[in-house]
Amino acid sequence: MIQLYDVTLRDGNHALRHSLTCNFVSEYCKLAEESDVWAVEVGHGNGLGASSYLVGKSADSDQDLLLAARNKLSRVKLAVHAIPGFATIKRDLIPALSIGVDVFRIATHSTEASTSQKHIEFLRNKGVIVHGVLMMSHMNDISGLVEQAKLMHSYGASAVILMDSAGYFVPNEVQERVDSIKSTLGIEVGFHAHNNLGVAVSNASKAIESGASIIDGASMGLGAGAGNAQLENIVSTGIRNKLVSSEISKYLKMSQIVEQSYPECLPRVTSSSIESGMAGVFSGYAPQVKALAAELGIEPTAIWKEMSKRKLVAGQESMVKEIAQDLMNL
Amino acid sequence: MSNQKTRVAIIGTGNIGSDLCARLIQSKEFEVVAFVGRRSDSPSLVKFRDNVAYSISTGIDGLLEIIEEFEGFFDATSAFEHLKHWEILKQHKKWAIDLTPSKIGTPMVPELIGQSDKFVINGTECMNYSMITCGGQSSAPLVHAIYKHSKKISDIEISSSIASKSAGPATRLNIDEYIESTENLVKLITNCKSVKSILVLNPAEPPIMMRTTVQMEVADFNLSAIKQELKSIVDKVKRYVPGYEVVVEPYSPSRNVISATVKVSGAGHFLPTYAGNLDIINAAAIETARRYILAKKEFSQLEKKL
Repeated sequence: MIQLYDVTLRDGNHALRHSLTCNFVSEYCKLAEESDVWAVEVGHGNGLGASSYLVGKSADSDQDLLLAARNKLSRVKLAVHAIPGFATIKRDLIPALSIGVDVFRIATHSTEASTSQKHIEFLRNKGVIVHGVLMMSHMNDISGLVEQAKLMHSYGASAVILMDSAGYFVPNEVQERVDSIKSTLGIEVGFHAHNNLGVAVSNASKAIESGASIIDGASMGLGAGAGNAQLENIVSTGIRNKLVSSEISKYLKMSQIVEQSYPECLPRVTSSSIESGMAGVFSGYAPQVKALAAELGIEPTAIWKEMSKRKLVAGQESMVKEIAQDLMNL
Repeated sequence: MSNQKTRVAIIGTGNIGSDLCARLIQSKEFEVVAFVGRRSDSPSLVKFRDNVAYSISTGIDGLLEIIEEFEGFFDATSAFEHLKHWEILKQHKKWAIDLTPSKIGTPMVPELIGQSDKFVINGTECMNYSMITCGGQSSAPLVHAIYKHSKKISDIEISSSIASKSAGPATRLNIDEYIESTENLVKLITNCKSVKSILVLNPAEPPIMMRTTVQMEVADFNLSAIKQELKSIVDKVKRYVPGYEVVVEPYSPSRNVISATVKVSGAGHFLPTYAGNLDIINAAAIETARRYILAKKEFSQLEKKL
């Protein structure tokens, strides 16, 4: 059984520059409740507690967005993404528990699983589902990913999700990674694709074939950079491949409301997103790179390349300014 | 000033404790009487065995056996451990410099002594000074400079990125405490209630140097006064943290917001230069101890005169 995990209202918030409103969350969740998605993830693009100057301030707070979703969801689980370093147990996880969030994803960079120990351990006896997430998973090798997944599992995560946050992977790389974790740890594995190289849906399908049971997608692909794997296409190809049993029309309704509400924010594979994907840099930096390049009159390519050289991880927005400044002074 | 060295103990043989030990055994003002860990095979205990009078592998119990031998201690264990250590050692009138995020000590940012009325060294009592966090120490000069030349601060954010290699197991496990302690320090400096702190670990090779960015929302500010103030504080910080530098000068990225970034490279005592986060907290710890001992001496001389 494949669990479809809908990140439209979280990763999509990157594409909306964190302007997501309670109203839209409400409308979208009503439709999601009619579909066969397993969970809907809601919040700031960088997860709970991430509203900030560094990565962008939210229009509506995490708590308000979660409450709006909670009111509309009953069959579908309400989920959050939380990165230790941004989100804390006291300020973010406890309030989310009291709102009634069902699924907590505790996310770290693909080499930093040990920062998730306290958060996962705190949640594991609270009657909620806890996933460990390895972000920017292309920045660790396969045995390293297995080690990190093992840590998260040992803390109490019931599943480990590999995120291709930069949209760097091609399908056979996804297969190798999902295979390795499944065969060594025997736990549930999830996969989260980005479409920088135009293969997000193929990567998601490959993950399913390789034994991943939790698949992330977003309506209209609404997500950071070139967007996520388009949910309605995961479903349509899944139906054709007899991997998913569902009715496509339910997903098209969700897709349409996104398309109609945010026509100017829909992600596309642009030259910039291909550059960032090839460079293996986090997609979420795209708006900032674009703005700085225009302001300082430098090529976005130069900034992406330098970011790649300095191996930036997610959440280092303040470095982009310094890099652009250094490039100006060359 | 007399040439007699101040006799101290260091508890904790991880990254921070070991770097402290490497610094203090070279110091003209301090003598490391005891270096205290909990495992006899701790690599740092072995490494510094010949440089200290007592190399103790039985934790606080072992230290109690030589209680008369030292005046104060540096604690680089964990918040939880420090609470226990302080409960015991304060009864023996030992002063403490706390490098854990325990929050029980008086917060101290040595470069702001005499600059901000929030940081006063008290030589009259047996004190416990808390070094807060590396994010706190590295952001304090920026926060203070902006605070001093701005009106009505409504929101503050401190974001630091550090090399993964420089974040030991205790930092990783206590990342929430790190965030809260950093925020509390900034609240103390500015009286602003809305403060957010963020920590990002970056595993890049070669390891990155620590960066700390401060963003503050204010009603009004004097940018040239802020820059000048910052320069004068940074000059002072550089005296004990030579690798502290402003890499993005204060500027206004949007209306009523001021931002600036510093980079901290380490002096490379025990750990490589990328560990600027450890460097700044240890340098601050030693500077605080130095100022405290000076204040104590002044006080006891004053007492003698009376």
